[in-house]
This record gives sequence, C-alpha cells and structure tokens, in this order.
Amino acid sequence: MNETRPVLHTDNLTVGYGEAGRPGSKVFGGIGIDARRSELVALFGPNGIGKSTLLKSLVRLLSPLSGKICLHGTDINDFTAGRFARMVGYVSTDPVRVNNLKVYDLVSLGRYPHTGWMGRLGSRDVEYVEEAMEMVGIAGLMNKQINRLSDGERQRAMIARTLAQDTGLIVLDEPTAFLDLPNKYEIVHLLHRMAAEKGKTVIFSTHDLNIAIQEASKIWLMLPGQMHQGAPEDLILDGSFGKMFENTNLNFSTGKGEFRIRRELLGRIGVRGPATERRWTRNALERNGFGVAEGEGEGCETMITVEKLEGRRTWHISSKEVDSRFETIYELCTCLSSLAGTLCP
Amino acid sequence: MKTPVARFRYGILFSLLSALTVILFTASIVAGTVSIPVSEIINILAGGEASRPDWEIIVRELRLPRTVTALVAGAGLSVSGLLMQTVFRNPLAGPYVLGISAGASLGVAVVVMGFSFIPGYALTGGGDWHTVIAAWAGSGAVLVLILLVSFRVRDIMTILILGIMFGSAAGALVSVLQYFSTEAMLKSFMIWTMGSLGGVTGQQLAIMVPAVAGGLIIAAVSVKTLNTMLLGEDYARSMGLNITLARVVIFFSTSLLAGTITAFCGPIAFVGIAVPHLARMIFRDADHAVLLPATVLTGSSVMLAADIASRMPGMEGSLPVNSVTALLGIPVVIWIVIRNQKLTGIF
Repeated sequence: MNETRPVLHTDNLTVGYGEAGRPGSKVFGGIGIDARRSELVALFGPNGIGKSTLLKSLVRLLSPLSGKICLHGTDINDFTAGRFARMVGYVSTDPVRVNNLKVYDLVSLGRYPHTGWMGRLGSRDVEYVEEAMEMVGIAGLMNKQINRLSDGERQRAMIARTLAQDTGLIVLDEPTAFLDLPNKYEIVHLLHRMAAEKGKTVIFSTHDLNIAIQEASKIWLMLPGQMHQGAPEDLILDGSFGKMFENTNLNFSTGKGEFRIRRELLGRIGVRGPATERRWTRNALERNGFGVAEGEGEGCETMITVEKLEGRRTWHISSKEVDSRFETIYELCTCLSSLAGTLCP
Repeated sequence: MKTPVARFRYGILFSLLSALTVILFTASIVAGTVSIPVSEIINILAGGEASRPDWEIIVRELRLPRTVTALVAGAGLSVSGLLMQTVFRNPLAGPYVLGISAGASLGVAVVVMGFSFIPGYALTGGGDWHTVIAAWAGSGAVLVLILLVSFRVRDIMTILILGIMFGSAAGALVSVLQYFSTEAMLKSFMIWTMGSLGGVTGQQLAIMVPAVAGGLIIAAVSVKTLNTMLLGEDYARSMGLNITLARVVIFFSTSLLAGTITAFCGPIAFVGIAVPHLARMIFRDADHAVLLPATVLTGSSVMLAADIASRMPGMEGSLPVNSVTALLGIPVVIWIVIRNQKLTGIF
C-alpha cells in the first residue's frame, strides 16, 4: 500500500447543521484537508468556528452540506454503518456519566461493531479490550464504576473504548477539555503513541496550543474564512497562528511559539543574573507591564541584578530613585508599581 | 465479561430472586379469604381431584389466573420501564411515557362512556373483551403516532415531549367523555382506571401471556442495542447502530408489553418506573444482559407481593392494585430523586 496516500481527505467540504441552502445552516466552507497513516492531527481554532461540526461530519454524525469526505479514497457515505464503525472511532466532548457502568464493560462496548447480535465477547475481543486498557493505563481500574473515576481516568477509559473498537481512524472532540495540566499532556502524549505505535490516524480538537505544537504531526487551523494545514512549525513560520487573534489583545510570539497578552509597556528595565532566574524575573516584569532590555541591559537607568548565594536569591534593584534588595520576586513586584513613569522608554 | 467474583455474586442473587418469586407465587395461590390446605392446592394444580369441588374452582379459575396475571404483568411492565429509561436516558421514564396508558384509557373511555347517548347502553368494566380490545386499540393508535414521529424526528427529547403531549391530549378527551357520561358509566370507567389483576380469565391469559412473552423476547434480543444506547445517541451511532430502527423495535416491544397489560389489567402505576431501579440497586450493573432478567424477576416479585398485600386476610374483596403499587412505588421514586441530587449521572 502506498504509505503517502491520505487515509482521510476532504474535497471542497462545507459543514453545518440542517439542510443545505437554508440560511444560517452553513458553519464553515471550502475545507480541503487531509490526514495520513500514523499522523496525530490537532484541530485548532477559536471557539464557535465549527471544530465540533467538522469533526462530527468526519464521523458521519452530521451530513456535509456540500463537498466530499473520503476515507481511503472512498466517499464515507458509501460505507455501511457497520463497516464504517469498524473503520472510524469517535470520542465526543460531553463526559459520559452512567451509573453502575464498569470500566471493563465500557471498554468492551468498543467491540460491538465486531461481535454478533448478542454482543458476546470472544477470546480475541477480550484480548483487544485488555490490550486497550493496558495501553491507556487503566488496567487496574477495570472493575471500577466509571462515575467513580477522575476526569483523567474517565477520558482514558473513553479512549480505551475507541482503541478496542480497532479502527484505523480515531476522532476525538476536545479530549483534554476538563483535565488538569499533567493529564492534558499525558492524554495528548497517549494519542501521539496511538498514532506512532499503532499506525492509527488520530484527529483531535484542542485549545492547548503548546501541547499540540509539541506532539502533533500536523495542525488543521480553522481561521475565519479559511482553513490552513501543515506541520505546527510551518504554521508558526508562515504567520498563520499570528492571524488567529489578530483583532484581540493577544500576540503570538513566533520566537516562543505561544500566545501572550498584548500590553502597553511602561518602560524598560535591564536584568542581570543566572539564566533561569533571569527568565522568570523577566516573566514577572512583563506581567507587570515592563519591558526587559535585550542582553545585559546596557544603557538602562533601572537595573535588576539577581544574585544566587548558597541557594538564597536576592534581587537588587537600582536606579536614580531606588536602591533596594528583595528576597522574593513577589516583594520585588510590589515595589515595581511605584517605579512606573521613572524609567527610560 | 464478568470476573469470577461478579459471576458468583450474580449467581447467588439470581437464585435468591428466583426463590423469592417462587415463594411469592405459592403464597399468592395459598393466600385468600377461603383457606385451603397446601396439600390440596398442590393436588389441584397437579390435575388431581380436590376433596371439595368449590376449592377446585377457587384455585383453578380464580387464584391461579390472578397469580399468573400478577407474575406476567409485573415482569412486562418492569421490562418496558427499563427499555424506556435506557432509550430516553432518563431515570424517571416508565412504560407510560409514550402515552400508552392514556391511549388505552381513551379507548376504554370511548367504549364505556362514548355511546352514552344510546339509551340503555351500559358496559361493565374489568376484564370484558370490549374493554380489552378498546384499550389495545387505543394504545396501538398511540404507538403508530410515536413510530411515525420517530421515523422523522431524530432528537429523543422531542419524542419524549411528543409522547407526553399525546398522553395529555388523550387524557383531555377522556375528561370530556367523563363530563358527558352518566354516574354508572363513570363508576365503571373509574374502576377500570384503578387496575385489577383479578378480572383476567384463563381464556384471556391465553392471549395475554403470548403477547407479553413476545415483548420480552424482543427486549431480550435487543440487549446489545440497549447497551450501545447507554452512552447516548452519538456513541451508539459511532458504534454502527441504526438508531431509528433500534428505537422503532424498542417502542414496539414497550407497546406490546405495556399496551397488553393495560388492556387486561388497567393502568398499573409506578411498577414500571420503580422496579428497574430496584434491579440496578440490587445488581449494581448497567449491562442489560444482567439487568433484563433481574428486572423480570424483581418485577414479578414486586407485583406478586403487591397483589398479596392488596387482599390482606380478614378483608372482604381486595384493594385496587393501582393504589397498592403506587404506595409501594412512591418511596422508590422519592429515593431516586434524592439520590440524583448527589449524582448527576444517568440511573
């Protein structure tokens, strides 16, 4: 098989709700995107632009208003429901809450497209279920009820269900939405492994750009009126991410690969000291509206020098008006507000 | 797939429930205003001669049909409640959410009171074939409406609301009929609405039992479908389920169960809502392969117990079974509501 042929591609696709042609039904048009085997694709875009609508269309929960979605070159509408369920798995954005449903039973629901009318699991099905729970790291929770799980564990169980479904393509709508930061990273890393180790195509929508940039092989970026796709780095370099919040008070820093809130600078301060301390002092200064001079800050009237002695740090701020020492950044910040206006531009 | 521990627990629970059902079944035949020795009853049921011929009539024509009716009605109503709770993903759904009992009431009301303008027209309530056929026709008409709606409407909440609307409309028509009917007709209708397990004859059981069995078989075949529906419509469809077909099959089964039982016994409240929750409480499992037989056994037991309670010794006649099931069912429903405050889960 030709490895470079896309698993999924769309052709001038328009997605939306209801019937085509009715006013207000269209959500997003002109979508031409693709995804290949072993790729982790992150769908990124502002709230309300139609990420869920697009994902639901990809898994046939919504019909496209126009255009085509093709799976291995065949229009997805040409598959029977059973065949499609063996090719595409889906995790929706609403958390599933069913009392008394055990993790094992939830995961084995994923085998249903493969079992007979009774839904009885054969030994091969059991292997798939156990392997899926193993891979997402919930094998020890198999007899626990899903309502007793943490959000992260429940999301893992939902992912295990689609893994057990054994589909080549997995689509997840905001799998990291309710999770804390470590869980967000772990879930996306899990998706990355599913793509890399199992050769699946995994598509997920997210708002966590930093995580997506680190783990995704490809980004689908939905911006008002147009859709971009490419490696995350390509989209950073060609300025696509910067367009995302053009009219907001957010700035995309091409150098750092992250968004920053745009601020009026009150003045510039030079910072000297060890690299890590410099980095976080700079972070605090920027939050308080001060710019940080490049390099050693030559020519700046106000200087902050960080000294580190035997694990104790001191921040020494000196200018014409002040000359004080602080032991924490917090104390430094309380002094900074009084400085505004006395600094060099 | 159950672990050995779970399988052992379920084995014990199912044995206990089956034993309870058998005990209640026996108690229901033994209990009554006329006391008949157990040995005589066994003898009569085995087809032998009793020492007194009136005992034979009491056991064969009164107590046995009534007990079998309670068993079948309890199982059927409870299973239809389970089906509705899963399909609507709503813990307060029951066999009558689709408007089935309201449809049946309308059918009966039309037959009992609708022809009041004809002089000398009167029908007695209870197990008459007229009311059975009228109730069946009424609930069947509601089913047809619901099926038409479910072919066109995707949203399950819309179907639920329409079911409630159909029920209310039928109820309003019943009120109009009641307003124009005579006192005697009103009374015979009111007695029908109170429900009765005692009016079903052996002959009628020959229709009722196969119809309910048919509904139960459809439910048993739908176990996989029901499990798939637990996670909601999107997941069910993403697992390849034809949701429209699944709903039609389950609605048909529900109507067959609840419609038949309502036709023969009148509307029986709360059993359908409460028993599936009892089964979930006992088994702590969401798998319908477990819940369905558990609901059948629990439903039969609850109904037999309610029927025994409704004809306590020392009482002439029996209390309306609808009131007894309501009094037993309301605490369960209250428990559900209070519990769901703490847990916003389904069931």
